[in-house]
Amino acid sequence: MRSSLPPLGPPVSRDRVITSFPKWYTPAACLQLREHFHGQVSAACQRGNTGTVGLKLSKVVVVGDLYVGKTSLIHRFCKNVFNRDYKATIGVDFEIERFEVAGIPFSLQIWDTAGQEKFKCIASAYYRGAQVIITAFDLTDVQTLAHTRQWLEDALRENEPGACFLFLVGTKKDLLSGAAEQVEAEAVRLANEMQAEYWSVSAKTGENVKAFFSRVAALTFERAVLQDLEQRSNAWLQVGDGDLIRMESRLPDTQDNTRPSSLGCC
Amino acid sequence: MEEPPLREEEEEGDEAGPEGALGKSPFQLTAEDVYDISYVMGRELMALGSDPRVTQLQFKIVRVLEMLETLVNEGNLTVEELRMERDNLRTEVEGLRREGSAAGGEVNLGPDKMVVDLTDPNRPRFTLQELRDVLQERNKLKSQLLVAQEELQCYKSGLIPPREGPGGRREKDTLVARANNARSNKEEKTIIRKLRDRGGFVHLGDKSKPPDFRTTDAGCGRSSSRR
Ligand SMILES: Nc1nc2c(ncn2[C@@H]2O[C@H](COP(=O)(O)OP(=O)(O)OP(=O)(O)O)[C@@H](O)[C@H]2O)c(=O)[nH]1
Ligand SMILES: [Mg+2]
Repeated sequence: MRSSLPPLGPPVSRDRVITSFPKWYTPAACLQLREHFHGQVSAACQRGNTGTVGLKLSKVVVVGDLYVGKTSLIHRFCKNVFNRDYKATIGVDFEIERFEVAGIPFSLQIWDTAGQEKFKCIASAYYRGAQVIITAFDLTDVQTLAHTRQWLEDALRENEPGACFLFLVGTKKDLLSGAAEQVEAEAVRLANEMQAEYWSVSAKTGENVKAFFSRVAALTFERAVLQDLEQRSNAWLQVGDGDLIRMESRLPDTQDNTRPSSLGCC
Repeated sequence: MEEPPLREEEEEGDEAGPEGALGKSPFQLTAEDVYDISYVMGRELMALGSDPRVTQLQFKIVRVLEMLETLVNEGNLTVEELRMERDNLRTEVEGLRREGSAAGGEVNLGPDKMVVDLTDPNRPRFTLQELRDVLQERNKLKSQLLVAQEELQCYKSGLIPPREGPGGRREKDTLVARANNARSNKEEKTIIRKLRDRGGFVHLGDKSKPPDFRTTDAGCGRSSSRR
């Protein structure tokens, strides 16, 4: 399976091994409904024909108001800890998480940005070149949901249109009581408007945290492999002839309910 | 700064005297400067005599100055905190390097030979740019730390035989270095080489432009210079 690849780094821990395609949180707001890897992708993985994808580091940027729990979410996932005390992020921080997706090593660099206004000019310098933008809000504070639009807009401004997967994530799920459905319904509506996938999670209990990041990793991985395949087939055909052939070399419907659909890179 | 400090009574401690604090950029203000400002203002208020309206105003001015003092101190603390974190990371990276090179039987010539004298009382004060830089360096060190940890793990688990350290894999290095020659920067190359050597991290970058290792050297430098 990994025949063409040299052993890469220490093996990833077992709960970072993704073999089947992780599912959405709600079909009402998801980036793709498919529940298995794209045919071309699993074929490429089986043949070990994934180019340099295994060596790459995909960039994930997490934005949102202060205090919504961005750092907590990332720390729960990457370090499996939760701190009830608030310590504002200064500027930015990041974690690197290694996965093995369909037998291929794959890494995410997760950028944790500060929500505080005074750090915005520093944090926004890190938005560029993201493969994934995660906009977080606090499920118990509707104001923070209203602000997600602005956060997303700011992050998108630094990236090519259609180049990033977008996620809208409601945090502190453990604190939600009766009025939960209303907030979530509103969030789902907004997510669709943003063309984002909706999730709600709790860093405190860990609910959905791993499932969410696995989903992020799998979608990002898949797109990286498809882009790599496309790029290599283009390069190959450019050696031969001109545009006609290259047009035929386009991947057969890589969309498959996937959006945003641009295969252009960040 | 090169001139010997003036020894006149009023000018003591600061070349520009207490008045100089008022001419400073707010981002470079220290608590000292706030005291200088209050000294200057106090003196001028005194000269106005003992009109009760002056006294009223004086209360408010004192309050404002106290607020300013708090803000300035907080700003400097933030940077101080980051500095400490950065220093800790640096120590950790160096420790791991030593351990790693002992295990791998190779001397690791780290690229991070930057000299910052943190004990120098005359070191520059907090500016936004400085905060940016401190962050950037902290991030860079953190990447290096992660890489060093992985490397160590590899050695310990026997994945990389001690003899086959980074030195044994020059070919790949050359490739990466060549791909990156648009930004021929020794330091970057070294980091990438290391990242690459343990199947680590090459940024999933633009296909049409030269590889962009922005995030692996963990900087916002380039994008921030966009302004
Ligand atoms: N009950 C509960 N509290 C949470 C959860 N996630 C975060 N918190 C708390 O919310 C507060 C803010 O969390 P942070 O993760 O620091 O928030 P942040 O978004 O990173 O804030 P900035 O860095 O300032 O942008 C902390 O006191 C956390 O303990 C959660 O899932 N459940
Ligand atoms: Mg934070």
